Amino acid sequence: MHRPVLATLMIVPLVLAAAACGGGGSDDSGDSGTLRVLDYYNNEPDKTVYQQALEKCGQQNGVTIERETVPGANLIAKVLQQSSSRTLPDVLMIDNPDLQQIAATGALAPVTDFGLSADGYAKGVVDASTYQGKLFGLQPVTNTIGLFYNKDLLAEAGVQPPTTWAELRTAAKTLTKGDRYGVAFSAPANYEGTWQFLPFMWSNGGDEKNIATPQVAQALQLWVDLLGDKSASRSVLNWTQADVNDQFKAGKAAMMVNGPWQFPVLNEDTKLHYDVVPIPAPQAGGTVVAPLGGETWTIPQTGSKDRQAKAAKVVGCLNADDSQLSLGKLRQTVPTKTALGEQFVAANPSMKAFTTAVQTARARTGELGADWPKAATKIYTGVQTALTGGAAPQQALQQAQNG
Amino acid sequence: MAEQVLLRERPAGVQEKPVPARSRERLLQVLFLVPAVLYLLLFFGYPVAKNVLMSFQSYTTATFYTGEAPWVGLDNYTRALGSAVFDKALVNTVLFTVGSIAGQFVIGLALAVFFHRRFPLGGVLRSLLLLPWLIPLIVSGAVWRWILDQDNGALNRFLGATGVADRPGWLTSTSLALIAVIIVNIWIGIPFNTTILYGGLQDIPDELYEAAAVDGATGRRAFRYITWPLLRPVVGVVLVLGVVYTVKVLDIILGLTNGGPANATQTLATQSYHLSFQEFDFGQGAAVGNVLILISLAFAVLYLRATRRAVDE
Amino acid sequence: MRRRAWGSTVAGVLILGVLLFPVYWMVNVSLQPGGSAVDVPWLPLDVSFDGYATALDQQGRNLVTSLIVSLGSVVFSLLVAAPAAYALAHFRIRGANWVLFGILISQMVPGIVVANALYSAYNDLGLLNSIPGLILADSTAGIPFAILIVRAFMGGIPMSVVEAARTDGAGPIRAFVSIVLPMSRNALITAGLFTFLFTWGDFLFALTLTTTEEVRPVTLGLYQYIGTYVNDWSAVMATAVLASIPAVILLLVAQRYVAAGTTGGAVK
Repeated sequence: MHRPVLATLMIVPLVLAAAACGGGGSDDSGDSGTLRVLDYYNNEPDKTVYQQALEKCGQQNGVTIERETVPGANLIAKVLQQSSSRTLPDVLMIDNPDLQQIAATGALAPVTDFGLSADGYAKGVVDASTYQGKLFGLQPVTNTIGLFYNKDLLAEAGVQPPTTWAELRTAAKTLTKGDRYGVAFSAPANYEGTWQFLPFMWSNGGDEKNIATPQVAQALQLWVDLLGDKSASRSVLNWTQADVNDQFKAGKAAMMVNGPWQFPVLNEDTKLHYDVVPIPAPQAGGTVVAPLGGETWTIPQTGSKDRQAKAAKVVGCLNADDSQLSLGKLRQTVPTKTALGEQFVAANPSMKAFTTAVQTARARTGELGADWPKAATKIYTGVQTALTGGAAPQQALQQAQNG
Repeated sequence: MAEQVLLRERPAGVQEKPVPARSRERLLQVLFLVPAVLYLLLFFGYPVAKNVLMSFQSYTTATFYTGEAPWVGLDNYTRALGSAVFDKALVNTVLFTVGSIAGQFVIGLALAVFFHRRFPLGGVLRSLLLLPWLIPLIVSGAVWRWILDQDNGALNRFLGATGVADRPGWLTSTSLALIAVIIVNIWIGIPFNTTILYGGLQDIPDELYEAAAVDGATGRRAFRYITWPLLRPVVGVVLVLGVVYTVKVLDIILGLTNGGPANATQTLATQSYHLSFQEFDFGQGAAVGNVLILISLAFAVLYLRATRRAVDE
Repeated sequence: MRRRAWGSTVAGVLILGVLLFPVYWMVNVSLQPGGSAVDVPWLPLDVSFDGYATALDQQGRNLVTSLIVSLGSVVFSLLVAAPAAYALAHFRIRGANWVLFGILISQMVPGIVVANALYSAYNDLGLLNSIPGLILADSTAGIPFAILIVRAFMGGIPMSVVEAARTDGAGPIRAFVSIVLPMSRNALITAGLFTFLFTWGDFLFALTLTTTEEVRPVTLGLYQYIGTYVNDWSAVMATAVLASIPAVILLLVAQRYVAAGTTGGAVK
């Protein structure tokens, strides 16, 4: 019977060849001279900035860095796969609202076990990296969103940068002309939409535990009015923050809600004159509560105390004062140690509005922890329902809250 | 699973005619199938079984690390199927699938018949038709998003210039978004339908048409009495594959609208993805995914019945 | 007659023009300076090759990887699928319908489910970051598809042809290789073509089953450009255009073989 062999022969060589060529397992666990790092800074300039920062920290601690970057949307899937196959890296970057989710798996080591602490960090930042009372990550820099405005267009229309909702609405109306909208923001069906709505919702006293409240409805009414006045395009329902930035850069929007990571792109156009103010408050003198962004660095449970200790040294080094200041400057982000604020703004005046906002900013997961994703889905669903005219704000939020 | 049933049934098949040469022949015939069955078991059987188990467990991010997932019975199903989004997603999935298939198939068949006529450059044009397949989905998603953009999109600029319509919100209006997503999906599916149906047309012998022409059957009548009946097996497989692929379309919807605005383009596939990878509720995500598999299963059964009848005829 | 044929060519070009507009738009954006998506002119009058410079610099190696994986997947898929398709089309095997059923079910499984399960298995087998690993995984799209398509076509081959060969003393395997396969050439090419395209466009397995730059298909290389805050679309689109070129060439060549197969059939 030689013929059955023929059939099996079709597969066997491939599998054998595969086994022979395959490398890339976790066979290097004994060697603590190399640390595996995983992050999602796969775009320039962030990619190079962090490559240099990591290499420098590796050198200081006598380890080589072996870094992998994946596209942002796929980091969590990768981390979950790695945690089930016990191939987690030594140093892992996590977007701050995801930290508690990952910490809840038990895959991360408390950074305090290795002598790191978050003393002197902004409270919101510490909240985001804390799960069940333990600190699982250290975040060197953070960011948030503010209101960008085109100086020339505002001057031309004789409009001052708005500080309250009423002013925002009037200013946006005045600035809308031809195919140019007064204001642009991002309200798509994903967490980006939630993130942009949060400063309005939180500043008005809204809370993610229950979004079917008059406070949240009032904030949503503001967005509905901006669309109703035709001061903002209906396309906001489908625009990412990068799209919003494109509109602003092309002069199609006089103001926009966006973050400091857009500075490098905007600065490419030397004819564009712009500045940033905090997001307007509901009433004059009100406090603006913005959401905290940025990524936190963690130490996964890899089973080797020695490697973890080295990883902690690298994470500590990334979070040192000079590293925070330099990352802040190179990446247009704000150092998380509050004591560095003044020095940082003096050296980087364009970051003033954001540095101020960070002091009072809140972490998205500060209140709900691992339950945040469900709440965030409800928020953008409610926002979209009202913006498309599917229901009045209060009703839309009630529907979304009920799920 | 199905494949195991098959393995157990084989001896029964052999026993039908107990002539030794006959049974050796049977064995050889079965061997033609062995590599494929092995591959299917390893690369599909195992993941599917895992997914089915998952839908009865409370499977969260923690499970990946600890391996612990408590059994919750039908809890994932009652919660996922009880939500208001599910009903909407179910209706959208049906509309999306029926709309996409109808569009892809009709246009694909028309193009296949068109390219079946021999004309200069026909072959080159037909190859170019496959281009949409070469572009990674994330890129076609981005390109279509700009083309359909309400304010600056190429489509609305064209419609505005010709005075046909005033800037419809293709992706931002709850009544248009699903239609827009279907149009894009039709665009993606046309090359597939055209190529396979074209292949089917190629296999119909020219002599049949010549003979029919002698009897006065040309054009539409030739299509009805020769092309369509002979194309039927290929049509069957194109439609079934079309349904099965369309029901689980994910990337293009995520790229265009992410299920919005206000769930207007949320389908079972996007909802399953959302539950698993955005809300990290893998048990519920798997439950919705299994409902999706059940829906396609219904189509598969219909298809198998139809082909069995065709074989019996 | 000749004029009518050219009329069809004109009609064909027009149809293609509408259908390929998005492709044109991609090329158009790739040639625009600035890389913004707002107010893109209808024609790339102010041509800039910056995007291409960026793309060419980094994607050469990835293109080769994609080609090897795609071709490997075509070969592997057809090797597994063609005999199975023949068996399902012509042998009356008990339980064959169950196999068919299994194949159909396999097409309903979302790719992400397969990818997640494969990752741990691959990690244990040392198949991560390997070209054979990618070929095996990418064939999940090709194999079931090829079986169904080739089976549908093989159903049209008259059994009498095969039986004639068998009475001449050929075994089932020789009859299959020397009679059935040549007659199914069109179907095999169609199935191979789509298997190639499935693999070429795969992103999910490339992302989940590779971690290093040594083995990186071009789709993943492309995704690496697209982060959370993309702004330079011209580089992204340029990469997409470059990534399409080898496949376009291959398709044109393959189509010639389809045409050749047809004329061969007509002569017979």
